[in-house]
Amino acid sequence: MAMKKLVNKPENLVQELLEGFALANPGKVALEGSNLVVRTTPKLKDKVALVTLGGAGHEPAMSGFVGEGMLDISVPGEIFAAPGPPRVVEALRAANRDAGVLLIVLNHAGDVMSANLAMGMAKKEGLNVKQVLTHEDISGGPRSNPDERRGLVGCLPVIKVAGAAAEQGRSLDECLAIAERMEANMATLALAVSGATHPSTGDVIATIADGEMVVGMGQHGEAGGGTQSLKSADETTDIMLAALLEDLQVKAGDELFVVLNGVGSTTLMELYLVLRRAGQILESKGIKMARTLVGEFLTVQEMGGFQMCIGRLDDELKALWDAPCNSPALTVK
Amino acid sequence: MLDAIGCTEMSAMLRGAAAQIRDNHELLGKLDSVGGDGDHGITMVRAMSHLEKAVDAASGKDLKSLLHDVGWGILGVDGGATGPLLGMFFMGMSEAAEDIETLDALGLTDAFEAGLAGVRAQTKAQPGDKTMVDALVPAVMAAGCAAEDGGDLLSVLRDAANAAAAGAAATKDMQARFGRARNIKELSIGTPDAGATSVSLIFAGFLKGVEANG
Repeated sequence: MAMKKLVNKPENLVQELLEGFALANPGKVALEGSNLVVRTTPKLKDKVALVTLGGAGHEPAMSGFVGEGMLDISVPGEIFAAPGPPRVVEALRAANRDAGVLLIVLNHAGDVMSANLAMGMAKKEGLNVKQVLTHEDISGGPRSNPDERRGLVGCLPVIKVAGAAAEQGRSLDECLAIAERMEANMATLALAVSGATHPSTGDVIATIADGEMVVGMGQHGEAGGGTQSLKSADETTDIMLAALLEDLQVKAGDELFVVLNGVGSTTLMELYLVLRRAGQILESKGIKMARTLVGEFLTVQEMGGFQMCIGRLDDELKALWDAPCNSPALTVK
Repeated sequence: MLDAIGCTEMSAMLRGAAAQIRDNHELLGKLDSVGGDGDHGITMVRAMSHLEKAVDAASGKDLKSLLHDVGWGILGVDGGATGPLLGMFFMGMSEAAEDIETLDALGLTDAFEAGLAGVRAQTKAQPGDKTMVDALVPAVMAAGCAAEDGGDLLSVLRDAANAAAAGAAATKDMQARFGRARNIKELSIGTPDAGATSVSLIFAGFLKGVEANG
């Protein structure tokens, strides 16, 4: 399959996409320093700042989460590749304030290494920084082995609630505790129905045969069941939601958010069918679908499929979820 | 006769490594496209241009600064795990070169060992996991053995290069347990690891660099 993408020179891809991204969101985000994505209206210095890092090619993530009530700075890397520690340190310095900085890291090898090295350097410089790691992909391994679990779209709810807490003037330790509580109460499973190509190299990222789909990574035959025959929206939802509810040990009476994140070529129409079915299942079990988010937040180029992320909400997390935010990828009024 | 590695010789080694990577970057991309996303070749070429920029700018500096600047340059490559791993190899070597003007055979192996420690602080990957560690560990061990046996600098570099090449070749039959390639399980068997191959090219380049320089 030859790549069919509108790109210019591969080596300029990230620079060009960031310039376009900034133009598309005037009054919200701007580029600063070595391509750090920052808010155009900075947060007051007496409030905790939120910073994240991550490879490009997943638009609108992660820079699309920069804005009031969300992130202060995002450090975009190369296509699908984490930024190195020097630019992460630059971001931590730029965000530095007495109130402190919370670094949100998705569990992928490169991101974690860069973040850890940058945290070490920042602490040596006396910066007040703390880190939260998101790893909610249940297909990676059991809950008891979080290292094996990747960070997927669950970063969005974590950024949302921690960002709202920071905006309210909560302390760094409080923001960290809220982020960790949200993180510990989430579970995500990814479905892929068709592959994608790397926009720089043209290489195929994943190959999924006609008539097949992949639920989770299926590395050890765990949650989701891996490669199987393509199923209907309802049947697919049944499989995925059952695995998520089991992993998170959701009980009747619990209140959940459901995030459906289209990863590229799966349509909103399909995502609505999935959400409808998820709503039916939760209602039948006496579980409340308290909040929903449906759209494209963290994509993988033209890959077909979506990520289903559920999370248990308490009253405080619900209030933080409902707090206003204004970012390119998510606005709450 | 190479009897000491100072800034000039180290610069030649580093440029030799960059040349080896550049000559073979298409192979690296091809190896990576099996289990990864095929960008290891272009990432390594970017890393090597950062390396060369640091070498160019380091003239007149001491060994420690040269290696530090090379490491810092590679850390800044924005290439996922490759930057931190390779960058910390040179940062580790730099720490071992504190207050040292030139390295003899034992000094060089000490520096390699410090570089390896820098890498291993970043990853839990062990030999056998099909990563760059599979080339790096035997290379550093072989260098140590050669130096302890009284070998000169050239034989240290030659043994290290041979061991790195053998280590990289041996990853062909391994199943990946780290990095993106682990997602394809047994399908990763049959293709050498791209990161280990890069390390073997770097050690081959170290040797070629000093040979060409001598």
